[in-house]
Amino acid sequence: MKKYIWDGIFKNNPVLVLMIGLCPTVAVSTTVQNALGMGVAVLFVLTMSNLTISLLRPMVPESIRIPIFIIVISTFVTITDYVMHAYAPAIHKNLGIFVPLIVVNCIILGRAEAFASKHTPLPAILDGIGSGIGFTLAILGMAIIRELLGSGKLAGHIVLGTKFAATPILFFSLPPGAFLAIAVLIALTRLRK
Amino acid sequence: MIRSLVLVCVVAAGLLSWVYLFTKDRIEEDTRQKVRANLVELLGDTTLTFKPVIPDTLWEFYRDTTKLGIIFRSYGKGYGGPIPVLVALSMDTTILAIRPATPAEGLKETPGLGTKVTEPDFTNQFKNKKPSQIKLKKDGGEIDAITGATISSRGVVEAVQVGIAKYLKYLR
Repeated sequence: MKKYIWDGIFKNNPVLVLMIGLCPTVAVSTTVQNALGMGVAVLFVLTMSNLTISLLRPMVPESIRIPIFIIVISTFVTITDYVMHAYAPAIHKNLGIFVPLIVVNCIILGRAEAFASKHTPLPAILDGIGSGIGFTLAILGMAIIRELLGSGKLAGHIVLGTKFAATPILFFSLPPGAFLAIAVLIALTRLRK
Repeated sequence: MIRSLVLVCVVAAGLLSWVYLFTKDRIEEDTRQKVRANLVELLGDTTLTFKPVIPDTLWEFYRDTTKLGIIFRSYGKGYGGPIPVLVALSMDTTILAIRPATPAEGLKETPGLGTKVTEPDFTNQFKNKKPSQIKLKKDGGEIDAITGATISSRGVVEAVQVGIAKYLKYLR
């Protein structure tokens, strides 16, 4: 049972090994807070859609499975969007368009198609949690590198001294810095093997 | 096939309406507060009351019952897209303050260059000027453009001018 969770985090890490869901990882990893918000949102949507799709297995004909997956996923994404807006408006404002865009996040459709639609509910939930944590850790790693070097802060607090925070390596806050950071993270993952 | 598709859709719609009703009040309240916070910040005065005239676009502001002016949101052409700007105009058509949208609110100018239009060094130049003075210096006005971001600077100027032309009639 534990294997499903660990596989999602390490062996099948969606971002660093399977290379899916790269768009939000690159786009929303400018600060640790945003990355955590995005990670939790994806974790919730992924777990709930995996569970639902696994439960729906017996009544979903092969030919219309993708439309049904999309309806299930977009329902949970919209719920997340509303609840975040109502109870965490600051994070909702920062994440902006990227919460609704979880609908087309390949991780979620990928896990639905490759795993949840072929397994019973319990493994499906565990796989959702594992992959969700895997995504959260990857985007969090990106955010730590980028916020630290790009603004000298971590979660909004100055950590590398006020002198560095005044003239940080702005490059890492910008999109090119994100590509460099993700390349470094992927290289490190490969090194471990 | 159709039966299962319909069933899934009906359940999804039901669930969503329930969550919508549950969160609606808080979301509306948050939107109202954000708008009010923006207007208060623009004028730096918490004692004013704001009355919406055109939703999300034009407000009148009052001290007690005296109308002091209007605030409007208008758009100018920037380098990366339209630049939304909030402008406060007093009854004698003096510009009291301006506030271009921040990147989080939809400003699409180049980070580190065009986004400087949101900084006080730039926006404070508009304070207490008449519409005729609101032009870039190189266009014969009194606004210093940001170095390397002339198009963004001109976009903000354009937003102010377009807005004044459009909403001047509300200053009565």
